[in-house]
Amino acid sequence: MGFRSQNLVLPEGAGSLIQNLINERTGMWFDNGKRDLLIDKLSPLVIEHGFTSYLDYYYLLKYDTESHLEWENVINALSVQETYFWREIDQVRVLVQTLLPKWDARSANRNVRIWSAACATGEEPLTIAIALNEAGWFERMPIEILASDASSKAIERAREGVYRDRAFRNLPAGLRERYFSKEGSGWRVRSDIHSRIKWGIANLVEEEQVAPFAAADFIFCRNVFIYFSENAIRRAVRSFSKFIRSPGYLFVGAAESLIRVTTDFNLTEIGDAFVYTKRERVI
Amino acid sequence: MSSTQPSVGVFTTDTKLVIQVWDATLAHLTGIAAESACGQALTALLPDLEQRGLLKRFRRSLDDGVVEVLATAFHHYLIPCAPVTPSKHFEKMQQRVTIAPLRDDESIAGLIVTIEDVTERLEHERELSARLAYDDEATRLDAAETLSNDQSYDATPLLGALSDESWRVRRAAVKGFSQRAAPEAISALLNSVVENHHNPSLLNSALQVLASTAVDTLSPLRELLNDAEPDLRMQAALALGEQGDARAVPALVKALRDEDSNVRYHAIEALGKLKAAEAIEPIIEIAESRDFFLSFPALDALAQIGDTSVAPRIAPLLEDELLRDPAVSLLGRLGDETAVAPLTALLNTPTAPTDLIADALTNLHDRFEQQYREGAYIAELTSRQVSPTGVQNLLDALETPGKENLRSIALVLGWLKRSGVDKALTRLLGRVDLRDDIIEALVRYGSTTVNLLVAQLAAEDLEVRRSAVVALGRIGDSSATPALVQMLNEESLAIEAANALGQISDPAAADGLLKLIGSSDASIRQAAVSALNSLATPSIAHRIIPMLHHQDPNVRESAVKVAGYFGYPEAASDLLKLSRDPNEGVRVAVIEHLPYVENEQTLDVLIHALQHGTPKVRAAAARALGNMDAPQVVDHLIKGLADEDAWVRYFSARALGRLRAEAGVKALEAVLENEKFNHVRIAALDSLGQIGGQRIAGIVTGFVNDDDPDVARAAEAAVEKSRKHE
Repeated sequence: MGFRSQNLVLPEGAGSLIQNLINERTGMWFDNGKRDLLIDKLSPLVIEHGFTSYLDYYYLLKYDTESHLEWENVINALSVQETYFWREIDQVRVLVQTLLPKWDARSANRNVRIWSAACATGEEPLTIAIALNEAGWFERMPIEILASDASSKAIERAREGVYRDRAFRNLPAGLRERYFSKEGSGWRVRSDIHSRIKWGIANLVEEEQVAPFAAADFIFCRNVFIYFSENAIRRAVRSFSKFIRSPGYLFVGAAESLIRVTTDFNLTEIGDAFVYTKRERVI
Repeated sequence: MSSTQPSVGVFTTDTKLVIQVWDATLAHLTGIAAESACGQALTALLPDLEQRGLLKRFRRSLDDGVVEVLATAFHHYLIPCAPVTPSKHFEKMQQRVTIAPLRDDESIAGLIVTIEDVTERLEHERELSARLAYDDEATRLDAAETLSNDQSYDATPLLGALSDESWRVRRAAVKGFSQRAAPEAISALLNSVVENHHNPSLLNSALQVLASTAVDTLSPLRELLNDAEPDLRMQAALALGEQGDARAVPALVKALRDEDSNVRYHAIEALGKLKAAEAIEPIIEIAESRDFFLSFPALDALAQIGDTSVAPRIAPLLEDELLRDPAVSLLGRLGDETAVAPLTALLNTPTAPTDLIADALTNLHDRFEQQYREGAYIAELTSRQVSPTGVQNLLDALETPGKENLRSIALVLGWLKRSGVDKALTRLLGRVDLRDDIIEALVRYGSTTVNLLVAQLAAEDLEVRRSAVVALGRIGDSSATPALVQMLNEESLAIEAANALGQISDPAAADGLLKLIGSSDASIRQAAVSALNSLATPSIAHRIIPMLHHQDPNVRESAVKVAGYFGYPEAASDLLKLSRDPNEGVRVAVIEHLPYVENEQTLDVLIHALQHGTPKVRAAAARALGNMDAPQVVDHLIKGLADEDAWVRYFSARALGRLRAEAGVKALEAVLENEKFNHVRIAALDSLGQIGGQRIAGIVTGFVNDDDPDVARAAEAAVEKSRKHE
């Protein structure tokens, strides 16, 4: 049992049932070493429902007619929302400096759609928007930026557009001055940049939730697969592959790899970054 | 060629090779009509038959009755003719020819010859083969995969792909050979090894194939162990190790005496992989020879073989500067309690390989714990034998900057109750990966480490503070109470602090805990209530009872939980009144705790709540009634099984099991059949299992194959439980 859950009963086998159910519905995988952490994180939700046993809560998540409302709480409790601006910027640079110029030359009549698939509190899509703005792309072509996360709480914060100091640990100071203004103890992003992004909620293992976003030219899905099981990664990538526009580019985090889970995308090195391209559809 | 046209033509001859039958397909393929072919001697139709060396193949089939196949790769064709459709690569149709005897009873009456047009397939094969040389990896991969997956293609072009620069292409080629596993493919590979063993890519791929095919490659590889060429002997030893066939052991043991040290090296490795117990003695002799090149693999091999009897022979190697480190690891893997003394003796030297020794000792400890539940014995032996120098080595290792894996060091330090060690361990409290082990170690120090931990409550890192709180709770020393009460004010640690105070059970914590019972966070309230319940001090009653009338419903709810838990008689009437509180949370809390309150109205209030409360109150009432020992309860719970709310039905079903209510069996059985929510059916199954008896096993057995795995699992458990209760 974890540090916070000692007043609740965890019947034998219930931890594993919960672990698997969470994985099936959210993609997140808490291995046995992290099971106590999972149990701890769920404890407030169990208590909130007046249950004394995790098994009752498992049945609520699995069978209750209103369980979809509870899943929102589960995802909010479990998702990691620690991120920052200008994170792993090489891939964004490749988008702005290499791929868009090629794209521009080939498909002048269509808008470009970029999807930040696991945007947490919004730092990634805003980074992309700032980088595009810096390079003057918004004046040159119609660009649509979509951003989603499975956590409604994260998207709520992303919609507010106010960030604390830690989010700026990698952003060049000049850019912070140019794109953010001080507000209380945080910084508010410039509204012309913030308004370029359409925010939404999407659970990446649910194909019908992925579909409206994934018909994009560029998908950024970074630093989320590290929390996913192999099977969940496979499901998410299969959905991306199904809906991504052609030619399609998929960016995953530096610590992540699709090598063991997919054959639909090829890994390509462009500049200083690795990019997955949909097979047989390379520019 | 039309795709519907059969591509195999047939002709027959008599014993003098005069053509008897010439079928229509053959006429179509060759352009030679049956009328002009039949009656002609084969040598007249094909004048160069003897010159091309083919006549003897026909004669052999006639004389010996064997089937002859003319491989396309060597002979290309039997009957020279143009391809049916023009070909980019071939002027003549490529033919695969089979010559078989035609039997008339016991004697051979002639030959039947089939000619298959393989031009198109060969052409495609050539194209694929050419694509294997393209610069573009995707093209090469596609070609290799096609050649690999379709076994009608010759595997030979894949030989080159075994040394492709792309691992994906090499993998596809290896797969192609593995799938075919035909003797000729193996033979081709062995030839490649012989001819190209200077090419590591090809060699490795070929060996992969050798190691993964189902065809017996043992004999050719054993032969290669005697080859004059040392490189080949070495590769053979390597492959024999990969193949995992214990029949190779004697040959490999013999190779331990090979004149070439590389061969001996790979023979040692192979014997390790084969876990060859019969090779232990010669391998241990090699280890003891302290040969710079061979002793290391010998120790590795001994570790793989895993025979613990070698440990006493390994301990002396700790004195060898070169072999010391692998010997330490090996003792960790194979040693028993007698390995602790030499390992700690080494740890007590100023230049000890501390990390390795700590790894070895924890390895020993974990193994003893797992096998005999005697890990503590290893810890105790270690603690007894480690000198101040050894302790200092461990402390120094802990301080090495940038070190990631500190678990072993931390664990071994945790076994030693030495002054200064606890202080060092507290510095690791912030390491989430080590937290449980560090807390465990500090708890062993007991009260002596309380001050150190209290000091950590002021640490900047939240995780350090959290671990310190948890450790203080586990130690249970009341001198930590004031500091922990302070921590109740820190929202992110309030739950841990309340839990810790609950473990210490010091009445001095009551004031601090009472301040939390109105928290808007249900988890914090719950933790505070649980801690208050564990204080068990009479003075709490006087503080709690007035709070039952507090204006804040959160305070009332918590007060109900404490008063109800202790069942204060003086609070009974207030609690009954609060069953009508406007706040649902308070009503639920009252209902849940009424079973612990001695009052004649209790049962009526609970039954009323089950019938008329809100869904949450009804569910709480069903739960509570499971703790009431009154005969009429069962009937009400059976009615609860028909409640409109699934959770009321769920808890009614559970309560019937808790009461072991025989009278509820029929109703629970009906739930299994009619209930639409599976969690309610699961609760019914659990309860039927608790009620038990032969009759129950008969009811629940039918559900062990339910489509829903949770239901099936519950049914299985119910069958088992019901049998136990029989």
